[in-house]
Amino acid sequence: MALLEVLNLTKNFGGLSANQDISFTVQNGELLGVIGPNGAGKTTLFNCISGFHPVSSGKIIFNGEDITSLKAHETARRGLSRTFQIYAASGDLTVKENVMVGCFMRSSSRGKAKTRAEAILKDFNLTDIGDAFVGELPVAAQKRVTMATALGSGPKLLLLDEVAAGLTPNEIEEIMANIRYIHFELGITVMLIEHVMELVMKVSDRVMVLDYGRKIAEGAPVMVAKNPDVIKAYLGERFVQEHKEILT
Amino acid sequence: METLRSALDFSDFPRLDISVAGIIAIFLLVFPLFPHSAFAMATMIQFLMFSIYGMGWNTIGGYGGQVDLGKAQYVGIGAYTTAVLLIRWDIPFWFSMPLGVCFAMAWSFIIGYPLFRLKGHYFAIATIATSLVLMDLFSVWEFVGAARGLEISPIKYHYPDFLRLLFKKDIYYYYVILSFFFAGILYVNGFRKSRLGFQLRSIRDNEDMASSLGINVHWAKIKTYAIATAFVSVVGSFHACYIKNIEPQDTMGLDLSILIALMAMLGGAGSLWGPIIGAAVLIPLKSYLKAWLGAAAGLAGIDLVIYAVIIMLISALEPRGIWGIVEKVRRRRRR
Repeated sequence: MALLEVLNLTKNFGGLSANQDISFTVQNGELLGVIGPNGAGKTTLFNCISGFHPVSSGKIIFNGEDITSLKAHETARRGLSRTFQIYAASGDLTVKENVMVGCFMRSSSRGKAKTRAEAILKDFNLTDIGDAFVGELPVAAQKRVTMATALGSGPKLLLLDEVAAGLTPNEIEEIMANIRYIHFELGITVMLIEHVMELVMKVSDRVMVLDYGRKIAEGAPVMVAKNPDVIKAYLGERFVQEHKEILT
Repeated sequence: METLRSALDFSDFPRLDISVAGIIAIFLLVFPLFPHSAFAMATMIQFLMFSIYGMGWNTIGGYGGQVDLGKAQYVGIGAYTTAVLLIRWDIPFWFSMPLGVCFAMAWSFIIGYPLFRLKGHYFAIATIATSLVLMDLFSVWEFVGAARGLEISPIKYHYPDFLRLLFKKDIYYYYVILSFFFAGILYVNGFRKSRLGFQLRSIRDNEDMASSLGINVHWAKIKTYAIATAFVSVVGSFHACYIKNIEPQDTMGLDLSILIALMAMLGGAGSLWGPIIGAAVLIPLKSYLKAWLGAAAGLAGIDLVIYAVIIMLISALEPRGIWGIVEKVRRRRRR
């Protein structure tokens, strides 16, 4: 059964159509990558699905339930968790406290939230910096804390918005390990917006491409990367030249 | 059980904090046993009252980051409930105080529901407005004495009256408010570690992030606002019995609202000790200024000038107040 089903989703900001008639499904246990040029409507799509923006038209069905008109905290409680592109995590809270906020969604007991947060920190290799304030950490660590926090809320579907943007290759490796852990070990379904192609191509089961608010392609990573429309709109000829080895 | 244990557990503070807090607690307990002036006693009671106001403000204003400049309206509701019930129907303090809390919380829901749609400065301004409107209403409402206010006649009762909380000697009032003070500290200590406490700190930092973690931001704010209100209303009821003479201007005025917020901010919003430190600095200052200016009536209003300077200094130098400076120094040392 499809975990998430988006039907003809359209989102207009005044005269600007940020998402136009987008339909897709995410199967249980799948990892769907979302790529596209800046301003293609990727983050808007996440905002609509997670309930931060009301949609202009269309339908969103999550886990068999229509969540189109639900607010952000309501979708979160149903198991749809997300991270944000711009801000990583609460700067005034320590790493452990951040993750605990996530854990408090499923349990009102401080003891349980703390135990669970500590287990997640251990899995993410963040135990050493558990008492550091998030605002004082480097960006890569902040991004990992965000993922740990989102995971604390016990999601069925995790929406990751550019978790690898601006990181060094080593840091990207770490993030990739975290994503694989979430996806393979914990079996959580993931949707991933990313510009770092190495990451998207390596971890995604399927990739969807947006351009000017429309879906222009969808399919296996290799097939999408060979698609002439996608090359024209986003990847560019140079990418194809330089990445022949992943594309074959 | 877990809640109670959490309230009594101060183990996440450094040992120095706990020792200092212990010494201060013992000092507060034995203070009246030593010779003291009536002025010192009155100042101490004011200090305790304002500490509790500050603790209440701190839940929504400090941990939640919602700057509320209308807390005085709830002081007024508490004070008027107790005074009216006592004067009209002879209902004692220990019944009217919880009732006052109920009224104040009900009013806080009515106010909070629409007001928390506003953010930042707009919220602060709106709270001022609602407080002033309520004050004006009470100033013309004959049933509660209008602008003259209410007086609890001292000759009608036999002192000391523990049920009605009417005493001649301040020492009784001192210990009553001191026990409220300790209860308040325990409550806030539990609150800051509770689910709601964590949710509010997350909201203060980033509301979008908070709602993505399943937190109903609007509702969490309303709930905490009601908690803050309860604190303030209890002390309002106490105020009625202690001062025995209440007027709209004294109990609901803008200067009271601002003083409550200012104290918590000066001491350190969003920390357990902040409001107490703030009250310990500002209340003696206020009492002293009042005693000093009593002779020079032409200088009335200088206290407001001093508050304004303090507000400017806090916002320019250290938004987290005195306690923020302490924590900064500590963090630097750890490195």
